Amino acid sequence: MAQFAEIFLGILTAMGGFVEIGELMFTLNGGTRFGYQLLWVNLLGTIGIMVYCEMAGRIAAVKRRAVFSLIRERAGFGAGLLTLVASTLVNLLTCAAEVGGIALLWQLMSGTPYRVLLLLALLFLVLVVWMLSFQWIERLFGLGGLLMIVFLAALVSVGPDWGELASGFVPRWPQTSHPRDTLLYFYFAVALMSSIMLPYETYFYASGGIEDHWKPSDVGLNRAVVIVGFALGALLSVALVGLGAEFYAAKHIDPQLPGTAALAAAATFGTWGLFAALLGMFFAFGGAAIETALSAAYNLAQFAGWPWGKHKRKRDAGRFTLSWLAVFALATLIVETGVDPVSVVEYSIVFSVVVLPFTYFPVLMVAKDRRIMGDHANGWFSNALGWFYLVAITLAALAALPLFLLTHGGRG
Amino acid sequence: MSHQPRSLALLREVLDHEVVDADDVPCGMVDDLEFAQTPSGPVVVALLVGPGAWAPRLPALLRLAAAATVGRGLVRVPWHEVTRISEVIRLGSTASALGLGRLDRKVGRWLTRLPMS
Repeated sequence: MAQFAEIFLGILTAMGGFVEIGELMFTLNGGTRFGYQLLWVNLLGTIGIMVYCEMAGRIAAVKRRAVFSLIRERAGFGAGLLTLVASTLVNLLTCAAEVGGIALLWQLMSGTPYRVLLLLALLFLVLVVWMLSFQWIERLFGLGGLLMIVFLAALVSVGPDWGELASGFVPRWPQTSHPRDTLLYFYFAVALMSSIMLPYETYFYASGGIEDHWKPSDVGLNRAVVIVGFALGALLSVALVGLGAEFYAAKHIDPQLPGTAALAAAATFGTWGLFAALLGMFFAFGGAAIETALSAAYNLAQFAGWPWGKHKRKRDAGRFTLSWLAVFALATLIVETGVDPVSVVEYSIVFSVVVLPFTYFPVLMVAKDRRIMGDHANGWFSNALGWFYLVAITLAALAALPLFLLTHGGRG
Repeated sequence: MSHQPRSLALLREVLDHEVVDADDVPCGMVDDLEFAQTPSGPVVVALLVGPGAWAPRLPALLRLAAAATVGRGLVRVPWHEVTRISEVIRLGSTASALGLGRLDRKVGRWLTRLPMS
């Protein structure tokens, strides 16, 4: 029974923590511009993040090894350092976008100046991570993020074209009127894939498994959480694509701010729909801000061999604690300059796709190695999926920057 | 650890692996190795830990940047301190006895002044 409760809680947490500001903006905008045509990317990206989080979680459970110590050990110091610098930058930019997103949501609810709210968001995040245990942080923000189910309810209530929605899961050449729109379609496809497979999710997931003291017997729990939790989480992103296609496109609304996403829930369910959407987004952005700050600290500590972990007393993991505090402070400083958080998220997502192959290659190398993983090594199916996604994200990484430049950062 | 080969072949098994002290506390990575020449070939005599050991592995410009930002500190851990080589390198003494993890302890002392630390 206890094991069942743990699996259930893990699944709900994974579902609630699936969507963050980057994915929210790209799915909503993708749906508004291209209808259901990009849904197959949601499916592809979700299976990809399942495959690699499952491997990283399994390595954490069986060998108690986290991703970045593997990266340095397998890729060597030079390539490892390059991946560390790039992933820290991505984590910092993503954290900045989430902090900015929280302040924008609070501004909608209170009318207080944005820059003051940024400082309050910083204070809130630091206090939460300082005072709450890892398990409570995971549960509070994961379960709070579940309020975003209101988007799913709103889509069902709007009454989507189910046949059109289902056909979106089949990859096809985009139906656009201009070659520039075709480029834009591929830019959105790469960005959406990157936003679903953001590397911090794998770093955080594996380090979290070690924080939760997973053992080899937890390999089944890991698999259930990843497959069921992420699949249900992906439903939320499908709902956002649907609302983009059915609600925003029909009303000619261009959703450029995270708060605009709440409009569909408010129009369908009134005040409670609005508050459920805003609160759900707040927990999702807050959870992602914490995960990115902790991921940056995990990565640094694992690369340099420092003591790390939220389960340790702060005084016993000094440089780790100082690292996440510094990431929160620097992230807030970035958005305090007045830069638009949504622009920050676009840069971080395009940049992160370049980091993905460097992150996933060492994970695949260890997960498939029978000398290291024994009976828990990848089977042929995991290996095939692992190699397929490694090729797919490498192609996406090569295409990301040219597409970003050719489409002027998705502005056409 | 006398039964362990101490040749160049050891490089892959030890270099860039985590170092864990006698109390099971992580205290750095094997950033470089020190070799001595013997009649039977070079043998490992110490693990080198710290920026002074990893910075020389960087390209020249980055080496200078690393020295300016994190210094050239280096701790030499004699080979006889190594008790086990697996995914991590286990040592027979504590980090403080070997001079490893000094900065962590310094930051830790500073953090004790704050509540709930």
